[in-house]
Amino acid sequence: MSNKLLKKENLGKLIDALTSEGSIFVAPKMDAQQVVYAPVINAEEIVFDYIVPVNSFKKFLFPQTEPIAEFNINKEGVVLKGIEIEPKEIIIFGSRPCDAICCSSLRSVFNWDFKDEFYNRREDKAIVITVACTKADDSCFCTTVNLTPDSPNGSDILLRETTDGDYAVETITDKGKKFVERFANIFSLNSQVPSHKPIADVKPIAGIDVKKVKEYLKDTQHYENPLWAELARKCIGCGACTFACPTCHCFDIVDEGSAYQGKRIKNWDACQFEFFTLHTSGHNPRDTQYKRWRNRFMCKFNFYPNKFSSRGCVGCGRCIRVCPVRLDITEVMEKVSNQP
Amino acid sequence: MENTLRQKAKELLEKGEVKVVIGYGWNKQKTHTTPVFITKPGDAGKLVFNPLCVNNLSLYLTKKFSDIKALGKPAIVAKGCDIKTIAVLISESQIKREDIVIIGMTCNGVVYKQELWKGELKPEIMPTKCHNCDVRNPLADFVIGEKIDFKAPDEPTGMVFDKIKGLDKSSNTERWDFWFEHFSRCTKCYACRQICPLCYCERCIAEKNMPQWIETSAHQRGNIAWNLKRAMDLAGRCTFCGECERACPANIPLNLVNQKLALVVKDAFGHKAGYDEKVHPPMIVFNMEDEEDFIK
Amino acid sequence: MNNIYLPYLATIEDICEEAPDVKTFRLVFKDPKVRDTFDFKAGQFGLYSAFGAGESTFCIASSPTQKGYIQCTFRKGGRVTGALSDLGIGDTMGFRGPYGNWFPIDEWKGKNIVLIAGGIGLPPVRSVIWNCIDRRKDFGDITIVYGAKTVADLVYKNELAEWSKMSDIKLVQAVDPGGETPEWKGKVGFVPTVLEQAAPSPNNSVAVTCGPPIMIKFVLQALNKLGFSDEQVYTTLENKMKCGVGKCGRCNVGDIYICKEGPVYTAAEVKRMYNDF
Repeated sequence: MSNKLLKKENLGKLIDALTSEGSIFVAPKMDAQQVVYAPVINAEEIVFDYIVPVNSFKKFLFPQTEPIAEFNINKEGVVLKGIEIEPKEIIIFGSRPCDAICCSSLRSVFNWDFKDEFYNRREDKAIVITVACTKADDSCFCTTVNLTPDSPNGSDILLRETTDGDYAVETITDKGKKFVERFANIFSLNSQVPSHKPIADVKPIAGIDVKKVKEYLKDTQHYENPLWAELARKCIGCGACTFACPTCHCFDIVDEGSAYQGKRIKNWDACQFEFFTLHTSGHNPRDTQYKRWRNRFMCKFNFYPNKFSSRGCVGCGRCIRVCPVRLDITEVMEKVSNQP
Repeated sequence: MENTLRQKAKELLEKGEVKVVIGYGWNKQKTHTTPVFITKPGDAGKLVFNPLCVNNLSLYLTKKFSDIKALGKPAIVAKGCDIKTIAVLISESQIKREDIVIIGMTCNGVVYKQELWKGELKPEIMPTKCHNCDVRNPLADFVIGEKIDFKAPDEPTGMVFDKIKGLDKSSNTERWDFWFEHFSRCTKCYACRQICPLCYCERCIAEKNMPQWIETSAHQRGNIAWNLKRAMDLAGRCTFCGECERACPANIPLNLVNQKLALVVKDAFGHKAGYDEKVHPPMIVFNMEDEEDFIK
Repeated sequence: MNNIYLPYLATIEDICEEAPDVKTFRLVFKDPKVRDTFDFKAGQFGLYSAFGAGESTFCIASSPTQKGYIQCTFRKGGRVTGALSDLGIGDTMGFRGPYGNWFPIDEWKGKNIVLIAGGIGLPPVRSVIWNCIDRRKDFGDITIVYGAKTVADLVYKNELAEWSKMSDIKLVQAVDPGGETPEWKGKVGFVPTVLEQAAPSPNNSVAVTCGPPIMIKFVLQALNKLGFSDEQVYTTLENKMKCGVGKCGRCNVGDIYICKEGPVYTAAEVKRMYNDF
């Protein structure tokens, strides 16, 4: 617990101090009529009244598209150069607890034996400043997956909104503590205990028992239940849920270029796409949409927790909000919880 | 109106005339409508129809939904705009008219996004397509609802067309800047393609890699290539259901580019998509009588 | 920066055209340090790059006992394999690996080894065959049953001739009915049938099988009939791969990532998996 306060009026100073050092300040911003995480250069661009931004901030740690190697082909052969990144410091302000926790999920998969430096270097330079939720909407379900609207897990600094419109500061990690010390002139001391705005009351969805869901998914016999075809029938197979999800990390590696030079590029991919698992022979293990959707559900509630001991689903509700046919993952969780 | 719809659906299923009714139902919290597939007559009560019914359900009649096709002959709950899409699908031999039963719903308009609904259908929350709709009383096997008295404006009006006029006045550089900025937000999620009933290619050109015609990366080149290719493929076929723009998680104004091309096709070929299922869209047929005076 | 996606550069030293559209490359790493220290175990795979086209996954077809080079065998099928097919001797390609798990050959000391392969499934088994031949006295009987659609489709024709001459190896070659030529001296029949006829004993044996999924299905049935338990039978699973290091989320069969926890599995493990392949 720290006794510091971040006054909203000092945000501009903080942004100026950081951007003048070359750091990037990411905050919720209005872009094309919706709130997204985006770099801002002054405090006036920041939106304060939002539930969660439409996208997650994973794109700043794991970009949508990034080159990983460059090659030149000439008569002597191939000259191959791996890309080295020296990321700038990046401050993610206004994260929500459900977003902040994605870092541990992404870190666990990107460090499974082989360490992906493209992710690690960016995450090392990132400082996550979370603002605890004072309101939620119908699609939020963090408490159903055993998170809370004020969970500090994954954040470097946790801010709680005060009734005066400022933020009470709690440093969670060493990184967070050092950050507050670095800007001691911007984080003021509390002269009195501030009264916090009440944290959002997100009731866990009554019909869902996450433990039962996990147990049901463990049994390989349940994989063939015709229930899956029925539940995922309306899924259209776009990647909107995957790209909006804070923990989804599937990617593709492609070569782009000419006969003489090119780049090898890592791009976001989605297991919902039809040809994600297509073999050259023509065989596709997941050839219908419900099989692909079943894989996504299994990954979130079975593979991630079992293999990586981290969260697959954080209950942010983005997949529900962004789905063009409103396929609601909580409705599926409920049906699965109630399976015999 | 909903009760008549439910009755009709129950009747069709009981008589065995159809095996599945594709319609709209409520989500659990009754805040959004979502596609439902009714196979049992007893479930017909799940069907609803209201201004939140934004989805173009003709999508589920296309060939990639093989497991829906496997259910049997479908009846589809369709608004006038959805029926226009069905007409284009029939003209392109994707479905046979006799293989489906169309339950047409008279419609006074829907909301642009379901989140905008606050209890009343105000003109400012309706999409441009509804303000220009001339199919509020659709042609269908069964028509449900009161006849609607509405005359569409002679010239297309509304936000989309105002913006198109604005862009028409701007210079080439300004237009490129406008589109570069919007397409830079594209994440290549392909929601626009997947929700569009007319994007039914079994293997989309973006997924072909010998050669890679359209790069899959979400950089400027890849995004421009993808979005413009899709717009060109829809020229003369798009019926302005607006689903692509609604589905886009990055709020790219896809209606602007698709409707601009529709206006160009109307000018050049006198064709408006979706009004006659016997007429092929002009960009997929060749006619010796085609005028070529636009080639300068 | 340690870039886990960066391949080693390798020169193509030799190309052998095994069968229509099937080639074997012998690769030598350009970097002498890599060339001298590279080691792997039979069963592991790598991602082979044709720069400009992409990467493709094949097993390492040579044995770890053969030092200084590695071999891969592939069939021309798509963009990357097509580009690889167009490369010539002296050209450069890339290799990332070795990835995955391996055949536990050390555990098989003293046992009889039965190797069954079909068509393009022989390359991963070949790595085991040469590994066993190079350590011949460590093992009991070695039986190889190999079949292909036609005589022309048999791969490693030279080595098949070599193995058939070895007195301490039993080799049964077969082609599918209709695939034989007038000169064909081997068996005619599908691999599972030929295997049953060869009737290797399950006592103190392990079986290794690779090939088209349909062949594996019937081979497993034949092995069960001959008395082999599922724990005695090893096979490889393949899936579309991109990263090879357990991150891109593509190759999983249920909760098992083929690139990290495979490609070698016992038949018992395969039967426990989710039906996702």
